[in-house]
Amino acid sequence: MQLDFSIILKWLPQFGSALLVTLETTVCSLLLGLLFSIPLSLCKISNIRPLQWIASFYTSIFRGVPLLVQVFMMYFGIPLVLPVKFTAFQAGTLVFAMNSAAYISESMRGGIKAIDRGQYEAALALGVHYAGMMKDIILPQAIKSVLPSLVNEFISLLKNTTLIASIGLVDILRVGQLIQSRTYRAFEPFFAISVFYYILVMGLSFLGKLLERRVNKSDRR
Amino acid sequence: MIDVKGLYKDFGSLHVLRGVDLHVDEGEIISIIGPSGSGKSTLLRSINLLEKPTFGEIWVEEKLITPPDPYLHTEIIRASYTYKAMMAARGEDIKVIREIKEKDLLKENSRFLRKEGPEYYALLKKIIAEHYENAYSVRRRVGMVFQHFNLFPHKTVLENMIYAPMKVNRLERPKAVEKARALLDSVGMLAKQDVYPDTLSGGQKQRVAIARALAMDPDIVLFDEPTSALDPEMVKEVLDVIKRLAETGMTMLLVTHEMGFAREVSDRICFLDEGVLIEDAPPDIFFSTPKSERARTFLDKVL
Repeated sequence: MQLDFSIILKWLPQFGSALLVTLETTVCSLLLGLLFSIPLSLCKISNIRPLQWIASFYTSIFRGVPLLVQVFMMYFGIPLVLPVKFTAFQAGTLVFAMNSAAYISESMRGGIKAIDRGQYEAALALGVHYAGMMKDIILPQAIKSVLPSLVNEFISLLKNTTLIASIGLVDILRVGQLIQSRTYRAFEPFFAISVFYYILVMGLSFLGKLLERRVNKSDRR
Repeated sequence: MIDVKGLYKDFGSLHVLRGVDLHVDEGEIISIIGPSGSGKSTLLRSINLLEKPTFGEIWVEEKLITPPDPYLHTEIIRASYTYKAMMAARGEDIKVIREIKEKDLLKENSRFLRKEGPEYYALLKKIIAEHYENAYSVRRRVGMVFQHFNLFPHKTVLENMIYAPMKVNRLERPKAVEKARALLDSVGMLAKQDVYPDTLSGGQKQRVAIARALAMDPDIVLFDEPTSALDPEMVKEVLDVIKRLAETGMTMLLVTHEMGFAREVSDRICFLDEGVLIEDAPPDIFFSTPKSERARTFLDKVL
């Protein structure tokens, strides 16, 4: 069979807008996920038992159920029993965010636990309240130490967003499937998609490294 | 200025403090010494509530900072069901109160407080309403210097200095910076204002930590073994800073192993052993003629 990569060029506009969908979903999910993960990890380290239970139950659900099932549940299942309606984008982003919050909060908990007791004591001794202490002293240090796993989470999130193709959103993968059904060619589109993702992930890792170097500027030189 | 009354602290079955009474006047410099494990640090850390006492009360500037201890207010105990029941059975006031407290210390009637009636709680609430002040506002006025410095590693020296004054005392940034720079200058650290703590030596870190505590304008500064984590050649620079602070008339409580220094700067030496304050005397008297056998043994070992 003759390979013909010119079809990729023909579909480039579609790929372009699909790429935007992929990036949008990833970035929104990550930011939301980070936001969710903070109260979640605070629950996990709190002394209040019920909060710990809720947080670990939450985590176990999102770890225990396949992501695709979660996506279907949110998009097809939930609107049938609750008075909510999601677009494919909203449902996907929400699930990815809640899912990554579960994972991020796990590593964040470790990061917070690893911080020296002296940091808490110094903040308390200066009269700083719990919220301020967490926001200004503890979390910044914790996030710094979990940054590598955060970058990992970001990368797997990026790749997981291909699942939104299954609820009808036109992301990069969906464009590939369209090309395949129109032209009966599979190698070229999926090869192009692989390259797209590979480049994206490499770019992200690079950004992660830069970020890491930036936040580590306070370490001994 | 500070009143510690009947302070007990348990860590599980370990009784670290067993009834400590200590009074500190304004401008006094008191060194707390004693063998390791004697409860020195716990006593110091209780004063700004980094440790919550099991029993006893702490008063800072006429304000009660711990929950009221019923055993220090006998009228509260007398209002309790437990007391009334025991009085009805046997009836000798002082003995009964002592008995209840001893049982409580042994955790035998640790549930007794929950079963009490309105009269008992009304008395407790009255004391709280009149005298109680919460930990956060107390800590603002009580500075603390730690053995391991505990500077914030993700903030520069200057940011370390201005963080709490801005956050807690609502000082505006220019004012906070001005004050921080003056304090850094006074401990000889102004040149390092923009570096991160990890690039400093132990002695430099501790000088910054002292300046950071002073930036909150505390009425009293607590030093928890400020030189114990330092290399020997850095001890002096930190002690010099503390000494200069002492000369300004700051009220200070100092847990230390530096006997020479304690003798030099202190108004009083408190000797703590196994959770009990067994000597409280001016340094000359304490170091030359200690009253107790245990203090003598301790001094023989360290001097």
